[in-house]
Amino acid sequence: MDAVRTIPDLCRRLISFALRRCRASDDLCRVSVALAASQLAGSPVVRISISDTGAACCLEEFRDLRVADPRIFAEKWDGTLAVRTTGASDEEVHYYNLNLKEGGTDNMLTRLPSIAKNGMRFSGTEVCLSVSEKFEVLLGEIKQFIEKVLILNIPNIAFELVVQHENVYKSCCGDTFLPSESMPSPFSASNVERLKYGFEDYILKRRNNLDNNLGLSSNAMEHLRTGMGSICSSKISERQNPGLTVDAVIIISEFSDQTSPCSMECGHQTQVLYFKDFLPSTISKSSLIALKSIDWKSYGLTLGNVMDQGGGAYLEWENLPPHAHIDVIFHCYQAEVNFPPSKLKVLSERSLLKKAAKLALDDMKEKHSGILLSDRALKIQSHAPDLARTLAGLILSSNDMEFQGECLSLLGLQMGVGADIVEECVLDKIDAVIVLNDRKPERCKEPVPFLFEDDCLQEMDFEDECEEGEDSYDFLDI
Amino acid sequence: MECLRESSLTFFSDQRRCCADVLPAAEARARIEVAVLGFLRTLTSRDPAISHLPLINRTSSNSRVNHGLLTDISWIFLSHSFCTRSLMRANAAKAFIRVWKVMEMCYQILIQEKKVTQRELYYKLLCTSSEYFTSQLQVNKAIQDTVALLRCSRYSLGIMASSRGLVAGRLLLQEPNKEIVDCCSCGSSGYPISGDLNLLEKLIMKTDARYIILVEKHAIFQRLVDDHVFNQIPSILITAKGYPDIATRFFLHRMSQNFPHLPILALVDWNPAGLAILCTFKFGSIGMGLEAFRYACNVKWLGLRGSDMELIPEESFTPLKPKDIGIAKSLMSSKLLQDKYQEELAFMTETGRRAEIEALYFHGYDYLGKYIAKKIVQVDYI
Repeated sequence: MDAVRTIPDLCRRLISFALRRCRASDDLCRVSVALAASQLAGSPVVRISISDTGAACCLEEFRDLRVADPRIFAEKWDGTLAVRTTGASDEEVHYYNLNLKEGGTDNMLTRLPSIAKNGMRFSGTEVCLSVSEKFEVLLGEIKQFIEKVLILNIPNIAFELVVQHENVYKSCCGDTFLPSESMPSPFSASNVERLKYGFEDYILKRRNNLDNNLGLSSNAMEHLRTGMGSICSSKISERQNPGLTVDAVIIISEFSDQTSPCSMECGHQTQVLYFKDFLPSTISKSSLIALKSIDWKSYGLTLGNVMDQGGGAYLEWENLPPHAHIDVIFHCYQAEVNFPPSKLKVLSERSLLKKAAKLALDDMKEKHSGILLSDRALKIQSHAPDLARTLAGLILSSNDMEFQGECLSLLGLQMGVGADIVEECVLDKIDAVIVLNDRKPERCKEPVPFLFEDDCLQEMDFEDECEEGEDSYDFLDI
Repeated sequence: MECLRESSLTFFSDQRRCCADVLPAAEARARIEVAVLGFLRTLTSRDPAISHLPLINRTSSNSRVNHGLLTDISWIFLSHSFCTRSLMRANAAKAFIRVWKVMEMCYQILIQEKKVTQRELYYKLLCTSSEYFTSQLQVNKAIQDTVALLRCSRYSLGIMASSRGLVAGRLLLQEPNKEIVDCCSCGSSGYPISGDLNLLEKLIMKTDARYIILVEKHAIFQRLVDDHVFNQIPSILITAKGYPDIATRFFLHRMSQNFPHLPILALVDWNPAGLAILCTFKFGSIGMGLEAFRYACNVKWLGLRGSDMELIPEESFTPLKPKDIGIAKSLMSSKLLQDKYQEELAFMTETGRRAEIEALYFHGYDYLGKYIAKKIVQVDYI
């Protein structure tokens, strides 16, 4: 693991350890983060306590903990961690002091006297430290981290963030019991479904906050369209049980209030959120670049730059409508493979990311008719109203009532209905075919019927379709 | 000749032939209605789809030549090779829509029992659908697509040909119940050939001419009419003023049917384009291959030909342009030309020169009449 660079970084690392311990446990667990701010000789001091009710701490994780910048020890932290941990079958709670300042291959571990549990069965860990850091900064970073973890919607873990500031207790974030309220059957849901609900909540909350900060009513909100995809690579070897899995969720939101500053701020950039093994992480550069090679154009999207800046990965779009926004999240983890191994190929994380993104886009297209139409389909669709108008004209200008009746009955309309209704009906049907066609991959398309199906057509050879401008008549063609 | 063609014997080549039927208005309307119903049925079926339009291919690869077995007349016809117009090809979607728009216009024209020219149709479409129709050529092509789709003649769709052709000379024409027109006294413009094929069909023709002289250019036609050449050589003069339109071809064909013993002699410029015009009258064309085969005539090439080159002063020759070479190549490869024509064409391209009929005026303004007369007397036509 990388060395930690900042105090917030350290806190994130310690919370990640707590999460891991909770995931390792089968029980319902809680992760609590408590911050107590006070002053010591005029400087701000924050006492941090990160505790969890997961499996016992194995101390291995602490042995590998490193601090990148030694100045942290001089300015912000003395390097000590007070650890208390116990396993369910342990009779005692073990106390340790860790000193990261000592450095070397082994962080200095001091065993302290244990405390008997007197027959009580519980497991958990608490890690405490005191730092000189701006309280607001620390709180902000920790909150952001927890909000991100909440996206995963891990059903057996609850979070609690408690803040004590100058002797005033205040509970922030509340007891957010996962999963989110909108998700049905959280325990039986798949990881990708949990990710989807969590991500939707996260986005709505973030938008609400943004709007509230700007003093706008949160009524001017949007319509979310979500697509999700999950793909698993096969086992690398017989001995390995889990396979590499990538879940992807893509959300397109539209601001109904197009004048909202939020719509202008969020704009045409997408931050790519990335999780690795159930923890917020950063996407690798190669994976980010791999995203560029997805055929976005077939979904009507044009990807401009892919940027890796200041701890975030961003996608920049070129042709998004001004009031639309795209959010993307990936989660890469090891999971049990349920499919027979012969059906899967061994794929790299980059390939999996691309495939998962494509599955998510296809899923969105499937669920929301008319969205993510390829450039080609949009171009064809632009002609649909003219075709509908022409056909309506043909039907209604007829003086043969039998013909008119038959046409209208095919459309499910009554005689005497207005031209605009006929036009709209024909247009809907044409649009539906265009959208349906756009969803199918090229190779699956069935042969389209010709207008006059007669036997002699079947036998004949068909030349290529006549393209515009190809009809160059030679001189003999009058 | 006619009854041979209409005989029930279908030779192999005829089975391969695709033609556009000449239909009364009600049947043409019915075909359009079948198209609409077919499209709607597919659109509203359980597996809805947008049908492609199958059009008979009007390309040289789909053209065949019928060399008359029992007659001297050969013609170009089109066979059963199709191209498609489809909405689902994004770049060709407009062409698809254009066919439907023409069908809509024609349907309305047929209901009103009117006839319109292509020019009138162009302006109508320009006003209602300017996004789709930006030029007369596009309108004409869309009309030909409609003909190729519905396989009925352009005239059946209510569209008249342009009236570009002129006729003059020893010909009496009479529309039913109207006055007889003497084409000798029509002035230097001659009698304009109507674009209404129905009207042309009903014309009663009488002549005492011995020849029909087909003239490529209007200026030459006027000169010959002014000089009353048709009296010096008892003849009928006819011109399409350039590219042969269907009405002029139709009229020529009618004359050839009414007066089968009158040889048709063509007077064209010495260049591949002139020969191509002659061939269009003689064999028909690919562009209107579904209809034009009906109007092929046994046209003979009077001049200008290779043997006339000595009559033309050196200064009157100009080099062949790249476009001329292109036309020559396409004529050569078309399998249409009989040997003598091929020789003439080869000579033309080898010398790399072209000349206009007007070059003969070097010998005097009345030389043309004498030139024609001499050639006819010597039976110098191929």
